[in-house]
Amino acid sequence: MNATTASTDGRQPTDWKTDAMQRRIRARYRAEKRFRFYGLAAVFLSAGFLAFLLFTMVSSGARGFTQVQIALPVDFAASNIVIEPEQLDGNDREQLLALADFQGLAQESMVAAYGDDGQALFSNGAWVQLRNAVSDDPTLLNRSEVIWMPASTEIDFAARGDAGENQSEERLAMMERYQALEEAGQVRSALSWTFLTMGDSSDPTLAGIWGALKGSLFTMLVTLALAFPIGVLAAVYLEEYAPQNRWTDIIEVSINNLAAVPSIIFGLLGLAIFLNTFHLPRSAAIVGGLTLALMTMPVIVIAGRNAIKSVPPSIRDAALGVGASPVQVLTHHVLPLSLPGILTGTIIGMSRALGETAPLLLIGMRAFVPSPPDGLTDPATVLPVQIFLWSDELNPGFVEKTSAAIIVLLVFLLVMNGLAIWLRNKYEQRW
Amino acid sequence: MNDATDTQAAPEAKPATDEPLVDPASLKMTARNVDVYYGDKQAIDDVSIDIGMDNVTAFIGPSGCGKSTFLRTLNRMNDTIPIARTSGQIELDGEDIYDPDMDVVQLRARVGMVFQKPNPFPKSIYENVAYGPRIHGLAGSKSELDQIVEKSLIRAGLFEEVKDRLDDSGTALSGGQQQRLCIARAIAVDPEVILMDEPCSALDPIATAKIEELIHELRGKYAIVIVTHNMQQAARVSQRTAFFHLGNLVEYGETSELFTNPHQERTKDYITGRYG
Repeated sequence: MNATTASTDGRQPTDWKTDAMQRRIRARYRAEKRFRFYGLAAVFLSAGFLAFLLFTMVSSGARGFTQVQIALPVDFAASNIVIEPEQLDGNDREQLLALADFQGLAQESMVAAYGDDGQALFSNGAWVQLRNAVSDDPTLLNRSEVIWMPASTEIDFAARGDAGENQSEERLAMMERYQALEEAGQVRSALSWTFLTMGDSSDPTLAGIWGALKGSLFTMLVTLALAFPIGVLAAVYLEEYAPQNRWTDIIEVSINNLAAVPSIIFGLLGLAIFLNTFHLPRSAAIVGGLTLALMTMPVIVIAGRNAIKSVPPSIRDAALGVGASPVQVLTHHVLPLSLPGILTGTIIGMSRALGETAPLLLIGMRAFVPSPPDGLTDPATVLPVQIFLWSDELNPGFVEKTSAAIIVLLVFLLVMNGLAIWLRNKYEQRW
Repeated sequence: MNDATDTQAAPEAKPATDEPLVDPASLKMTARNVDVYYGDKQAIDDVSIDIGMDNVTAFIGPSGCGKSTFLRTLNRMNDTIPIARTSGQIELDGEDIYDPDMDVVQLRARVGMVFQKPNPFPKSIYENVAYGPRIHGLAGSKSELDQIVEKSLIRAGLFEEVKDRLDDSGTALSGGQQQRLCIARAIAVDPEVILMDEPCSALDPIATAKIEELIHELRGKYAIVIVTHNMQQAARVSQRTAFFHLGNLVEYGETSELFTNPHQERTKDYITGRYG
């Protein structure tokens, strides 16, 4: 080094072969390799976390989709239910079924088949299965038939081979009971769609996700129907028409800040406006949707403005140059070209809205809602809130339900994002 | 205020030759006392000019002299710049184009424009040309539209090169082809005037030669106004040339006359390369 720096007047020709030079080059390559390794390590680490998450979810959630069932011989013909199969063809079918004492029949059959404590083997709401079976096939009423009924939580545990930490005598007795049933072939673990088709229940063996799924669907529809058009129109106005003055600046700053406001504050806003001022129904999908739309809109506005801004001015000039009106420039050129960007923003906003829990708790969507909502104003809950509620349950049977619900939420998210990405690619190809 | 006297001298220089520069029969556009301001800055100062149907008119001048700005006032493209303000009178066939009753959309269909950078829409070649006729409802049927597209492409000298791939994206063409596509797009709406804002500045010499050839062929069918910073190009393609400097129209005359025998000192300095 001293040799090269010594000359102050006129530079000596650089010698690229010196050891110092070679060392520097090697160090540079090493740094490059190291940097690549860090990046790769980060990718593997996050992939590992993701795999771990998916594995634990799927392995513990998979049981949520199965149901332990016990065979119950039921003699419908000898029961005190005196409905003829033909009667069920009439209009009063529902009423007849509702009035018939299936619960009593179930109890009798359980005691007959499994002794005095036979009822303890079955889930509390198991008798509903009898009614459903008759509803599906009225000719059952003239026969005796073996019906597979959901087992009680205790049997469910026994089936898992888990007697609990404090192995109480009742638990151990139940284990023995289960083993006896298993040897007799009277118990099975069946894939059951009841988890996907039933509403919430306080009994984990009967609790299903359908109510929350439907609630999420309705809420998302309201959110999308409001946030997307309002967000896009606001972005278009701010970008294309708004005059450059202080008011526009204030609106711009407000929208940017709004996108960063914690979601629970939107919940309070929804509570104050939609429930207390407009008196909309409590814990309804429409209120949830409105609240989440408030939250999603700024995200769409910001993404929309950026997308519109990135359309090259030369395209606007070209369209104006052949005599397109400003609205035609917008609808024929600017919006189609910015649609992929707008959709990306919408995906981000909607994904966030789908996973949102806090604001919905505030507008009452944390209520126990056993029957799935039929409309926007019916009481409903949504997937993340359902997960929150179940994870809070004391009954350990809800643990796997919680995992199963998380799987359903993730699949919902995946389907929604897949749809949006497919739409985005479609438009990108066209332009 | 040397500039001001020069400017006033320029329009007066014309009547001195007894007959007007542009034959009244072929007069297409006239501008009288046009001023353009960008905010507080005056970009165009009291420009008056006549543009004829039968000729190619070139606007030359050093960068920032206002030639492009003035060109853009002729089809009101400056309206899209919020801070731009235009005063004075510009007429197309005797109609004031800044009249509140004038429909800008129709004006731009009648006065087409080709830009400095080729800017085809990111759509198919066919759609690029068909867009104008479609929004103005110029074609009654699909076959009629096909015909307009074909004719426009032929006129722009591009048809032979693209006839087998009209559905390909217009942005996939080479720069020169893109610019000819833009000319075809302008022609397709059947304009009366075509404004070209340095149409060759982004092109290589061969593509430039093709565009110049095209301008020759289009001459007479449309009133063509071309802005160029290239004096040789102005000499090659135009019959009349206007020299702009610092927002003033310094001199306007027959191209041959202006290049060989300029009346104004500033024109002479510019042409001989003393500044630019």
